[in-house]
Parts: sequence; C-alpha cells; structure tokens
Amino acid sequence: MKLLSSNQPSMATTPADSPDRSIDDFAEQMNEAEKNKYTKGRKLGEGTYANVYLGTLKSDPTKLVAIKKIKIQTDYKEGMAPDAIRELKHLQELSHPNIISLLSVFSSKDQNLNLVLEFLPLGDLEMLIKDTKNIRYGAGDIKAWMGMLSRGIYFCHANFVLHRDIKPNNLLIADDGEVKLADFGLARSFADPYRPMTSNVITRWYRPPELLFGTQHYSGAVDIWSVGLVFAELVLRMPYIAGDTEVHQVNLLTQAVGTPTEENWPGVSKLPAYTVPLPHTPVREKDYYNQMFGTAGIVGVDLLMQMLVLDPSKRITAKEVLNHDWWYTDPKPTRNKNLPRKGGGEEAVVADLKRRPGVVEDERTAKIARKLDFGNMA
Amino acid sequence: MAANYWESTQRRNWQYTREQLADLRKKLEEEEPKLVQMYPLPQLRHMSIYFNQQIARLGKRLGVRQQAIATAQMYIRRFYTKVEVRRTNPYLVIAAAVYLACKMEECPHHIRLLVAEGRTLWPDFFSSDTSKLGECEFFLISKMSSQMIIHQPYRSLTSLQSIFSLTQEESALAWSIINDHYMTDMPLLFAPHIVAVTAILLSIVLRPNTTGLQSASGSAGNMANAAHQALRSVSQAKSGNGGAQSAADAKVVRFQEWLAESDIDIEAVVDCTQEVISFYEVQEQYNEKPCKEQINRFVKARGLDK
Repeated sequence: MKLLSSNQPSMATTPADSPDRSIDDFAEQMNEAEKNKYTKGRKLGEGTYANVYLGTLKSDPTKLVAIKKIKIQTDYKEGMAPDAIRELKHLQELSHPNIISLLSVFSSKDQNLNLVLEFLPLGDLEMLIKDTKNIRYGAGDIKAWMGMLSRGIYFCHANFVLHRDIKPNNLLIADDGEVKLADFGLARSFADPYRPMTSNVITRWYRPPELLFGTQHYSGAVDIWSVGLVFAELVLRMPYIAGDTEVHQVNLLTQAVGTPTEENWPGVSKLPAYTVPLPHTPVREKDYYNQMFGTAGIVGVDLLMQMLVLDPSKRITAKEVLNHDWWYTDPKPTRNKNLPRKGGGEEAVVADLKRRPGVVEDERTAKIARKLDFGNMA
Repeated sequence: MAANYWESTQRRNWQYTREQLADLRKKLEEEEPKLVQMYPLPQLRHMSIYFNQQIARLGKRLGVRQQAIATAQMYIRRFYTKVEVRRTNPYLVIAAAVYLACKMEECPHHIRLLVAEGRTLWPDFFSSDTSKLGECEFFLISKMSSQMIIHQPYRSLTSLQSIFSLTQEESALAWSIINDHYMTDMPLLFAPHIVAVTAILLSIVLRPNTTGLQSASGSAGNMANAAHQALRSVSQAKSGNGGAQSAADAKVVRFQEWLAESDIDIEAVVDCTQEVISFYEVQEQYNEKPCKEQINRFVKARGLDK
C-alpha cells in the first residue's frame, strides 16, 4: 500500500459522506490485488494528461514498468478524458510485439486510473533521428525499424483499429531494440460504412492530404501516409514535410509529392477543404525520389513512393507493405541487438508518456496544439 | 468493432456459465445481508426489463444509435455482476453507462446533456451535479477493469443475412430478437455469433408477417416447437442421419445445412434458443410497477440520489 499513498497530489477529492462511498470501498478492495503487484517508485514527471511513475514488479524487483496515472479532469466535471478512454479501450485488446503492452490497470485511492505499461527505456525513434552527432545508422537499420513499425500497424489495421497519430516520437524502443507503437490516445475503430469520422487527427507533419482536405471518410491509408513520412524522415534525418500551419502543410506537400488533382485522384476537388496552390506541381517521379532518398535503395524508394501516393485508394495497404520486395532485398534488416541505440533512460520514457496526442511538441508549434473535438464527432 | 473476438477480453473475461453467474450474484448478496433483507427486489429478469426500458427512454431522448445502447446495456450487466444493485443508484448507473458507451462507440454526447436528460427523466432520483456522473463513469470503468470493447451480434447478422437471403421482415425480426437479448443474461453466456445465428433461426422458422414479432411470439410454445424441430434436424444431419428434414421450407433447409457444415457450437445455439423463448415467456408476466417502486424505495431510503 505504501506504493500509492505517498508523494501524490490529491486530484479528485472523495467526499467522505458521498453515497457512492460504499462502491468506492468496494472498488478499492477489488483493485488491491492488481495494485499490490507493483511497487510504485518516484514520480518521473508530470504532463497535462498524465503523470508518469517508475514502477517495479513486487515479485521481481528487477522488472521495471511505467505507471501512467491519468489525471481526472477537474473533479470529474467532464468525465474521463477521451484520450485516456481511447488508449485504454484499444490497448486492452491489442497484444503484439510491436505495440506497447498494457500490463494492468488499477485505480488508486485518490480515484485516478493507473495504466501499467511496459517500460521502454531506450527512448523513441525521434531521438535517434535528431541526434545526428552521436547516432549513425544505415539502410539495414532503417529497414529493421520500418519492419517493426509496419508489422505493428498491420496488426492494428487487421484488428480494425486506426492509430491516427503515427510519428517518430510515438515509436518507442524497448531495451532489446524492438520498436513499439505507443500512444493510442487518438486511435479508433474503423467506422461503419458511411458514418463520418473527424478529419482533425494525426500530427500535422504526418497528416495525409485527404485529412488536410477535410474528408470524413477514410481508412488505414491515413496511417500508411504517416508511416511513409516516418520512412522519409529516417532517411533524411529531418521531417520531410514540416508545415507551420495547415495551409503551409498543403503547400509543402504539393511541392514534395505533387499537387493532388482530379487526374491523379478522382474526386479530390469535391473534398470539403480542397484548395491547392497554383501553379500545380506535377507528381514527383522516381528520379526525384531516388535522388532524395537514395540511401533506401531503388526498391526502398519504390515502397516509399507507394506509401506517399496522393490518392488514398491507390496507396499501398499495410498488408501489401509487408509483402513488398524491399524486405527481401539486400541489405538485410539489422538484428535488434545490433541496432544503434542511445541511453535514453527514464527521462525519455517520461517525455514520451506524458505527451498529449496529436501535437507536434516543437518550440514553434507548441502553442497551436490541436485538440480532438470529442464533443462533436469522432 | 475493434480487435478480434476470439482473443478479446470479452471472450476471456466476460463470458460465464450459468453457475458462475449465479455464484457471483449470490456472493454479492451475501456481502450485504441487511440490505438484501430490507429492500427486497423483483426477480432479476424483470429488473432487467425495467432497466432496459429506462435506457431506451434515455437513448431515445438523446437519439443514440442502437449499437451504443447495446454497449451500455452490456456495461450495466457487467457492472452488476460486480456490484450489488442496492448499493447504487441505478438511474445514475444507467446514465453513466450510456455516456461511456457513446464515447466508446464514437458517438459522444456532452456530459451536461446527459445530466440534463437524466434530470428530466428521473427528476426525483438524479443529481444535477455533473461530477456525480463523471464519478460513476469512473466506477464503471474501474469495475469493468477498463475492458470496454464489446462485440455484438449485429455485425454477424449483417454479414449472414445475405447468405440466407433473409427478407426485410426476417432481418428486422432477427434484429429485434438481438435487441431483446440484452434484457437477459445471454450476452454474458454466449458468443455474439451464437446469438446472431439463433436470432436468424428464429426469424426464419417463425416467418414473420408484417406485424413483426409481437404477433409471432404470441405463443412462446409454438416458437419453441418450430425452433426445436429445425435444430433437431441439424443435429441429425451432423451425426450422419441427414435427409430427415420435414416439409420445412427451403430457407430452413438451407440454414440447417449451413449450420451442420459450420463449426458453430450447435449445443450453444439450442441453449440460446431456449433462453430466448423463456425470455418471451417471462416478458409476458412483466409488470413495471413493482420494479419501479422497489428500486425507487431503496434509492430514496439510502439517500443514493443525492
């Protein structure tokens, strides 16, 4: 019990005379078992959405876990945070080597939900990409990381889940080098046909053209676009299409990939927010990509181009990605144990876990963070 | 729907045998002998019907999709396998379940709207404080171990209806049998596809006319006979004595053949059919008044509405 009582800000106050008191006690009992499996260590950090604690398994103190404590927004006035709900909902069901595992959930005494997640100590792909001074990697390493990402996203799609926030800093690295897809705060199940979904998802730099144009009907192709941009970023070691605003994003996108038109994407001009800069840029050809992304090799460039097809209905699917020739072409993907890594340590875990989804946490853009409009439509 | 039913938390953690369910409930009552004694309640099956009516009223006011309503019903059913009903304000639990289910099924409503509607429907039993609803939502999530994805029979029905070329009336009847099954323990006992198959079976053997289920279920006995006859032939076909079909129409024959060739648990379908039939029998004797009075009594007496 000592694990949860000390050193915590009291979030939701429980009125002692609350009629729900009895349920509270009962929930408390039921939780005890789960809670007692873990020793909650010191607080590693505090974010807007959650606090993160280091934890250890009581039965085996060498096993580390990350305990993500969801803050209840202003005394339940708004109910459970939608991000937390989405994350819980999906992580409870998805179990795959390339998806962060939710080991357990318990509610603590001050009535906050605690997600016990596997501890991924080696930071995220963004840290590796950015650290151009100390980290060097090659085509085999990129292939290994891309392979793990592709398997993770295929598993999501095969289970009818859209991740909707793929970007390098949501790709965490386990101590064995395995890449894990994290942060399901914007994820949702596929919509039933003809039911609308919000287009206001995916961090801007990784957002596909159909979402920038405001479509309300989309598919796993949105995630594939993001995967393509992660691929590009791994090669370039900087974000490929990094717009400051949505309009800017569309402009950069047309320059980088080509202008979406009725010719290359029938129906695009009917999308609600379709506007493209003039004059039109023709869709980039193989030569352009080969020049820019030569490190990936000719077959790798082919895969990248298929991920960055403007028309989502012609974009490669997660399953097709896994069947692409690139995986069978030299160089072979690097084995996990030989992948470049950096000593991310606890700080990295915290940075990753306390972020809000859907937001580029960069100096310039931090202020224009978008929020998922949950009250309206999702 | 998300994820795979066979590996889902629903299948692993929330599917019981009748004995397990009875034990769970008995345990809950044994923990509160005084409450149980002081506040007797009508039989669970009638209570479920009452709950369902209240959910339907709330859902109607909010214009909630059936899928979310069904999810809310599952939440309530799961919740009350873990918490004794007399410890709770069922109206608050209903509203919280609908609120959470709407989030889950991607058709969210604002918490204040839920509270406002709750106040309108149950003015004497519902607090205007939104934090009560938020708190109750938290307890729901917590009692369900935050396992919130529900697999429902509707999708199986949608994908199977073309195989059996169901008419619009038959589909509608199957759909409404699925709606009704949420008033029973069936969703805790059977896999969703079993329920869907059962609903289809009943819909084709009952051959609904345009007036739908009400007339068709007029006699639960007839329903039972028709369904059992159809299922018996399936078992025979399966054990090699095929061809024993009576003069049933082509649709039933087709269904029998399909079922016999499938890997679907026929025992479960038989069992599930029986449950549906006995539910309709129980429903005929349902009377809202005692449920309402007895629930309201303990909510008021224990101050759970505050």
